[in-house]
Amino acid sequence: MPQESAIEVSNLTKYYGDLCAVDHINFEVEKGEIFGFLGPNGAGKTTTIRMLTGISMPTEGTATIMGCNIQRHPIEAKEQMGIVPDVSNVYNELSAWDNLIFTGKLYDMSKMGRESRADELLKMFGLYERRKEKVQGFSRGMKRRICIAMALMNRSGILFLDEPTSGLDVQSVLIIRDLIRKLNHNGLTIFLTTHNIDEASQMCDRVAIINQGKIVAIDTPEKLKRTLESLQSIEVAFEAAPPNASKELEKLPEVSEVLKEGDKLRLFTRDVPTVLDSLWKYSQYNNLKLITVNTVGPSLEDVFVKLTGIKPATAEGESGKSGPSKVQEMVHGRKKQ
Amino acid sequence: MMNKHSSHYGREIRVAWAIAVKDMRTYYTKPPSLMFGILFPFSLFLSFSIGTKAPPAEQIPILISQTVFFASSSIGPVVIPTERANQTFDRFLTSPVSLFSILIGKTLAGIIYGVGISAIPVLVGIVFFGSQLVDLAALSVCFLLSSLAFSALGIMFASIPGQTPGQVMMPLNFVRIPLLFISGVYTPIRDLPILMQAVSMLSPLTHTVELARYASGGETFFGPILNITILAIYAAAFLFMGVHFHIMNQRKE
Repeated sequence: MPQESAIEVSNLTKYYGDLCAVDHINFEVEKGEIFGFLGPNGAGKTTTIRMLTGISMPTEGTATIMGCNIQRHPIEAKEQMGIVPDVSNVYNELSAWDNLIFTGKLYDMSKMGRESRADELLKMFGLYERRKEKVQGFSRGMKRRICIAMALMNRSGILFLDEPTSGLDVQSVLIIRDLIRKLNHNGLTIFLTTHNIDEASQMCDRVAIINQGKIVAIDTPEKLKRTLESLQSIEVAFEAAPPNASKELEKLPEVSEVLKEGDKLRLFTRDVPTVLDSLWKYSQYNNLKLITVNTVGPSLEDVFVKLTGIKPATAEGESGKSGPSKVQEMVHGRKKQ
Repeated sequence: MMNKHSSHYGREIRVAWAIAVKDMRTYYTKPPSLMFGILFPFSLFLSFSIGTKAPPAEQIPILISQTVFFASSSIGPVVIPTERANQTFDRFLTSPVSLFSILIGKTLAGIIYGVGISAIPVLVGIVFFGSQLVDLAALSVCFLLSSLAFSALGIMFASIPGQTPGQVMMPLNFVRIPLLFISGVYTPIRDLPILMQAVSMLSPLTHTVELARYASGGETFFGPILNITILAIYAAAFLFMGVHFHIMNQRKE
């Protein structure tokens, strides 16, 4: 008997007037999986998550959560999920304890059930000692932890996380990532929306890349990277590189592009051995001393840029809340060449 | 099946109550609630009472009507835009509870605020100005129906997409303030021209003022049965329209 999917999305579409924000997308998330949902700003990520969690109604198509259709049986579907939005929507006027207890009441948990769960979660998140304090005095990272704890109150099977580590300090990011892994290890299905491609690459079993409302790729991070062989590269640094090294190296056979990255040069190629051989000859011929040679496979970031076709103009227009993303920085870097 | 339904309704009521209690704890003492729910009606009343020769005991029903009107209708417009701005309203929308129950919870918070604030002039009138309370049942019905109708009015206006209370309060005050002048608050209905009397009958506030006067032993122009009927119709209509408008909003999301 085939295993039931945790999330099943079929032809999901959302129009705002004439604008198609999400265009007939289809995907499945298996139980127990960490599923990453990537895309540039305005690609349709948040609209999709809002439809999956019942905040917004699709124009067309269906979404089922643990077998419950979110449109036809919203109560049953919502019982199966916990949601952490991109903003920590906690009640600042209430204490950490009261925030969790109120969430328990929204899920109609028994008094004993919600108190013991709140106790357990506050201890798990390292906030038990501060449970009686109003949340308004908490740091951003602590509020984020409270928000995640609230999403876990009802012991749901699926956790939706929208940019869970965005804008947090390194320590909070590490705590939250570790926690997500532990929760997943205990069987929780995670739907993770993120701008952070490294995070998706490190954490997700599979990722979907959405662009202009359409899914452009769904696969494991490694398989996605392998599909773009043309993005293999060799990173090289000379002890004293001649000023025209970029131009010279671009003329080597099988080199498609050369980028200067700090004191290093990055040679893109489909044929790494041939280029390595040429590179060695080039350095010998010009009497250059190689101090670094690394072969680099395409990163998920490369795949993302390739598939979404992000251009510098777009990146500038979408500098976002917290400054340019890594993708944008990389694209800007390329432009400088 | 019966048990399933009864447990479903029981759950909706419990969640609605939890939302109401949370709103009471969180928003009753917020500056916009205090300003529009308490300061505003008391200030209006004071500016009116300074220029009138009517004894204080006769003025108490007016104060009761104004407080129940302003206090009840202010909670929705404070709570909902603030929760939209903080994205805490989304928390309700993603919880396993119907939008109707969410709005009932918000309406309940308005009802309790309105009744609580309006009880103050009743007590002050009885203790300090010798006001009479001749019909407790009429006063109770006045409080319950009026606070329900006005709280639902506030919830209905809170469907206006906005992220600050001011964005909802402003259009709401375009309705609330004119109602004061056609509802027999400052001018007795019997002294109004016939056309204005007909207009006055259409105002829910008229019937609150009349019931409050009736409960204090005063006379009513339209009679308590008509007062109660019209208030009940308004309460149901505002509630229905409020839920409908919020559903429309969710469809646009």
